[in-house]
Amino acid sequence: MDNVIINNQAARLNITFEGSNGDLPDLVAYDANDGDIKAFATEAVRDGYVPGIAATPHANFTDFVVDRYAATAELPARIFLRPKTPFGR
Amino acid sequence: MMETALVFDRHGRTLHWHEPPGRSGGSLPDSRPLWDVLWEHRSAEKGGTGRLAGVAHTHPWDGPTGASGTDLTTFHAVELGLGQRLVWPIVTFTHVAWYARRRAIDNASLAGLNPMSDVYVPHNELPTWKLADIEELRLRSR
Repeated sequence: MDNVIINNQAARLNITFEGSNGDLPDLVAYDANDGDIKAFATEAVRDGYVPGIAATPHANFTDFVVDRYAATAELPARIFLRPKTPFGR
Repeated sequence: MMETALVFDRHGRTLHWHEPPGRSGGSLPDSRPLWDVLWEHRSAEKGGTGRLAGVAHTHPWDGPTGASGTDLTTFHAVELGLGQRLVWPIVTFTHVAWYARRRAIDNASLAGLNPMSDVYVPHNELPTWKLADIEELRLRSR
């Protein structure tokens, strides 16, 4: 998978799935839209490309959400893909 | 009236109260802090404390209730993220509906559905323990 970086705003994508999590080896664009983030994760997890997460042919992140943390002086930009947690309407 | 939730352990004891900003009489918003609690207490074999059993939330009215579409997709997403099944009680002021995932093939009333799909259905059997703080949960929802 090629790095997908726009405007030099690169971020590390952390994916949580089936009780494990891991970082996508390739950087992604910090301002990539949620659909693209989920697509990157889906392809990577299905192919076993995320260290720490077993290859899962039917991985699906439809009901997951994206948390973004901008870079600071101490930390690089981070994006986290995790399950949604709302209830009700 | 406000929807309220709590995270409980395998003995029905409260691990965490969930009363986030933005909750209403009909919904609880998505919450990163709630996810962090669930992740911390996921199964020990997955690296957590192993204490997590489920999440109870209120539908703050009298009478029986059922899971909304949002509830069902959250149940599924959380279990997919944790890699473990949980129990999902929905609590009104007078009733409790216990939801858990079952394969359609295991439930005769679901005959005709895709037998390979999983569905969330109300338990026919109540657990042997009770939610320790169920009345407090109801009180916090009034």
